[in-house]
Amino acid sequence: MSSSESARIEVIPDRRTAGWDLLWSELSVLFRRRRTWAMLAAVALIPILLAIAVRLSTSTLAAGEGPPFLSRVTQNGLFVGFTSMVVAIPLFLPLTIGVVAGDTIAGEAGQGTLRYLLVAPAGRVRLLLVKYAGAAAFCLAAALILTVAGLLIGAALFPVGPVTLLSGDVISVPEALLRSLLVAAYVSLSLLGLSAIGLFISTLTDVPVGAMAATVVVSVVAQILDILPQLAWLHPWLFSHYWLGFADLLRQPLDWASFGTNAVVQLCYIVIFGALAYSRFATKNIQS
Amino acid sequence: MPRNIVKWLPAIVVPAVVVAGVIVLPLQAGAASPLPDRSAKQVLLMIASSAGTDFSGTVQSTSDLGLPALSLSSGMSQSMIDSMSASVPKGMEDFVPKGASNSALTTALGLVSGSHTARVFVDSSKVAGDPQKVRIQLEDKLAERNLVSNGTDVWSYDSQTNTATHAAIPADLSTSVKTKLSGINAAVGVDVSNPSELAKELLDRADPSTKVSVGTDRTVAGRSTYSLVLTPKSSNTLVASVTIDVDSQTGLPLEVTVLAKGQKSPAVQVGFSAVEFSTPDANVFTFTPPVGATVVEQKLPQGTTTGEKKTLGSMVADIPTVTGTGWGSIAEFAATSVPKEISDNALLAQIATKVSGGRALSTSLVNVFIATDGRVFVGSVPLAQLQAAAGK
Repeated sequence: MSSSESARIEVIPDRRTAGWDLLWSELSVLFRRRRTWAMLAAVALIPILLAIAVRLSTSTLAAGEGPPFLSRVTQNGLFVGFTSMVVAIPLFLPLTIGVVAGDTIAGEAGQGTLRYLLVAPAGRVRLLLVKYAGAAAFCLAAALILTVAGLLIGAALFPVGPVTLLSGDVISVPEALLRSLLVAAYVSLSLLGLSAIGLFISTLTDVPVGAMAATVVVSVVAQILDILPQLAWLHPWLFSHYWLGFADLLRQPLDWASFGTNAVVQLCYIVIFGALAYSRFATKNIQS
Repeated sequence: MPRNIVKWLPAIVVPAVVVAGVIVLPLQAGAASPLPDRSAKQVLLMIASSAGTDFSGTVQSTSDLGLPALSLSSGMSQSMIDSMSASVPKGMEDFVPKGASNSALTTALGLVSGSHTARVFVDSSKVAGDPQKVRIQLEDKLAERNLVSNGTDVWSYDSQTNTATHAAIPADLSTSVKTKLSGINAAVGVDVSNPSELAKELLDRADPSTKVSVGTDRTVAGRSTYSLVLTPKSSNTLVASVTIDVDSQTGLPLEVTVLAKGQKSPAVQVGFSAVEFSTPDANVFTFTPPVGATVVEQKLPQGTTTGEKKTLGSMVADIPTVTGTGWGSIAEFAATSVPKEISDNALLAQIATKVSGGRALSTSLVNVFIATDGRVFVGSVPLAQLQAAAGK
């Protein structure tokens, strides 16, 4: 876009509301897409399949066998949500985030709709912000749906009662529900860094599938780096390092330490890759 | 195009600022504001007077002992190992993990290697006759081990096995501690309950072997601290120095750092990453085993039974012979007193290396030499000295 064009766009009076309109249309397009619904349904299937498998199996698990909390599911349905969160975090949630975040800019470019979006009086910065907000909304939706599906199927198939925390203390059902929501908030926060990386990768290419795959690869590579002891100095700065830290919300007294550290790390990634995405997108020669 | 260069600026400036911030901020947190000068004796007195402090905080421990990497067969239960060893083809037995995951030694080795985080709550109960209450939470990944002592009962809880262990503290413990203390006073010739005298005595006794000094002030967990530095005078020890960082206001030791000779990173460092000096909530110290947990009752040995005398007798036999003085001391355990778990442990056999006259477990801080006749020598000295002691 030449400088004269952008100058003309800036003088259009309803710029202030243009951003909100764009956000609203982005969200409604994202959550009306069949692909988004399919991914959210698949996310909801994780706790459902897990709970049915545990319900149908006759062998009782010894304490500590299988994924964390799995042996407690039969005694308390509220643990279904926590177990499926542990199962979904390493691969499945990053996969769906990769699809949504990788598609943000590259998808529009691939379909040839990007230049029409930029004709609207919003500008490139707002378009980036709106696209990122859409990806963040998907993170929250995925984590919430996983939690709610886990709670519902757990309550349907297993007894529900006071929850034993990792510290051995017992909390009431309402407090356990509150902690479940906190875990969902923690998990969606954990995925924001990866979303920013996906947004940046998406500005690099016009092929959405490439951006999606690259984002998923980045999340897998980060998790591999996280288990190499030779890179211990790097671990606290990997965006995936605190992904399982939501366990700190299941301790008594509640340990906010990893929530705070996680937020700082994710913010670093958002700021860095947000800046990279801005520079790349603002200077990009958009022809499609 | 100059306009494009301006647009590329954020891509360079923002990452640079974030990386710089990440490096600079922790450095600034470690810098300390100057404190009034104190002598080593005054700092020791501060530590002694901190006994009645209430606090809660997070303790981080890291160690770099140069231990060989342990294959602790993580995540595999004994039944999985059994079925694996039953089905493994001939000649591939090495791939079956050693079934060491349940032994106490493995747990102990796991605790001294790597890094750990624990939350600590202490209520010293300044009210006379009220016992000290303690809760320690060792935070593992997606799991936790708890130890709760409320003065009359001790509970431990392991979230992974969902097991709670209970032991009752004998009611006469405090009186028996008092009689024991007076016994120690008589034996040592110092009033142990008098901090000032104890501090002087400690410094006097340390003098021939150790240089005790006060290092530069530091900041630990956001609090300014005095550093008490103990440096061995003897050259035949592996310990380079021990640093104790003492809170300048309460006297509570906040961090202990042990440096080994010829190693830059601390061999062992245990310290608070966050600490708060207020009485923890009383709820923290109440523990009821959760429904569904396995409860194990553990009996503490009673003080007056004849059984204790017997164990005391065997304990005396088990006391190691110590040769050498100060930092260069070597402890020798007779072959009969070494627990079976240590003498034929598969894991230990795996990490101990063969040397002349037996096997050795070398770390940057402590060497262990297991002679072929079963005697065990332990010392913070070079391995050759342990071998020499065994040859005598």
